[in-house]
Amino acid sequence: MKKATAINKGARVLVQMFLLALVVASVLPLYNVVVASLKSADEFSANPFLPSKSPISDNFVYAAIASHLLSYAINSIILVPIGLVLYLAVCIMAGYAFGKMRFRLKRPLFLLVLFLTIFPQLLLATQVFRLISLMHLTNSALGVILTWVAYFSPFGTYIMTTYFTDMPYELVEAARMDGASPVRILVSVMTPMAMPMIATVAIIGFQSMWNELPFSLLILQNQASRTLTLGIAMMRGEYGLGVPRTSAALVIAMVVPLVMFLVFQRRVTLGATAGAIKG
Amino acid sequence: MRNRGLEQDDIAPYLFLAPLLLLLAAFIVFPVAMNLLASFTEWKGYGPMKWIGSANYRAVVRDEAFWMSLKNTGVLVLYIPVSTIVTVFVAALLREGLRGWKAYRAIFYIPNLLGPVILGVIFSIYLRDDGMLNFSQKWATGVTLRFLTSPRLAMNSIGVIQVVWVHLGFGLIYFLAAMNGIDQGVYEAAIIDGAGFFQTLWRVTVPSIRFAIEFWVVFNFIEVFARMFSFIYTLTRGGPGYGTFTLEYGIFSQGFEKFRVGYSSTWSTVLFLFCAAISVAQIRMMRRRNS
Repeated sequence: MKKATAINKGARVLVQMFLLALVVASVLPLYNVVVASLKSADEFSANPFLPSKSPISDNFVYAAIASHLLSYAINSIILVPIGLVLYLAVCIMAGYAFGKMRFRLKRPLFLLVLFLTIFPQLLLATQVFRLISLMHLTNSALGVILTWVAYFSPFGTYIMTTYFTDMPYELVEAARMDGASPVRILVSVMTPMAMPMIATVAIIGFQSMWNELPFSLLILQNQASRTLTLGIAMMRGEYGLGVPRTSAALVIAMVVPLVMFLVFQRRVTLGATAGAIKG
Repeated sequence: MRNRGLEQDDIAPYLFLAPLLLLLAAFIVFPVAMNLLASFTEWKGYGPMKWIGSANYRAVVRDEAFWMSLKNTGVLVLYIPVSTIVTVFVAALLREGLRGWKAYRAIFYIPNLLGPVILGVIFSIYLRDDGMLNFSQKWATGVTLRFLTSPRLAMNSIGVIQVVWVHLGFGLIYFLAAMNGIDQGVYEAAIIDGAGFFQTLWRVTVPSIRFAIEFWVVFNFIEVFARMFSFIYTLTRGGPGYGTFTLEYGIFSQGFEKFRVGYSSTWSTVLFLFCAAISVAQIRMMRRRNS
């Protein structure tokens, strides 16, 4: 498609140069850690910024094994999908109720959910921590999962609600005529129809949980139960770890989100603007 | 959300909502209410609460860290217009159908994927006094800039990175989608009338995406008040001094480092008021848009 443009050829070159400069500035911090991760401590102090002359993999082995990154990654890979399944179940059920069912308290309850979407973790942290301790769930997977699902589901519910609201009401009506129960309508009719949006909500939920810090920091105090994100956050403070090893840890941690992006690019992009108001 | 007909679904909707409502009651509503109560007490987070009336509130207005936190948050708020102008401007450039615009959009989105924790640690390396950015800018200017070790510069580093740079990628996707909805004929007419890039941007693009810009500003307020902790924790740990303290960080520091949970709840109440105001503004904007 040829667009009408107000930028002439000469200006286009300038614009491209401006954008390329912006790209270089954006990529430099990442270049910094990738290059550092391949150097020995000695080479790093002699040559901090240029690519390594003799790249080594030792830092990656150290970060994965001695700094426990591998076991943290396994924790994340177990925790996040379980949390995600519960999160989706909660959001789909609630989204369907708000989007397609009729009941007296619908409006006030939906406003309440909207109101609760933005509160920061730290605002809730003290009391959530106390609640988790009372339930004896400190350091447990269940404690963190429940907290994540509770914290992230208002936004997921909001997105599912807007999607279900826009679906034709005749679908529900027809299924009801056939004598289907509400549960059956939700499971066999509405959920399959909502799959595209469910996939988007799943990506949003995955990113939220995978990157979550404050709750995991407070609930998972035991080193063995740390998530990958928490492990990276704690590394910042570990004395004497050094830039090359920390960088290797960062490169390992970057793999999952970047692979996710490459595989699901279109859906990640959609997820970024889901819930935003159409301009 | 419209109710058609009179028939109600009696009990079923409440059953579908039960998991959500139970979780929200336990993990959000109860904590907010307890914070308010605890803010009038002296309490370590366990054991008995001692009612001390408004003493915590009188203490908080005399607390240097509290005013620093508000000031620091103010610095971040000042980056919201910067972020808005930069993002709309770059989106408008990409809208012109420049070669490689999709690649630019994807590259600028990378920081959004990595999340605040990875970014915080990356920049704690990149912005060190002897780090890579200083190496290159010292070569150009001859002075070392203490990006993280001077309180004033540290807060501005956070503003540039977390408010402007990280949001650029998300904003490009969002604004490009909004600009896609503008009728091409309007641009063609403007160009035939001799309008240049900046004139079409100001007269055509910006008015057409006014609602998107409004949403963007509210989104940025949410980020500044409610989503900064993870990045600050990994980048500066709130320092140097109170240099990068925010309300979120103050709650963490008082509650979990000094175990003054009553006093920390006082900070929470202040943060709650800010967030509640932003939340109400967001809901009103949504409803205005949908009606």
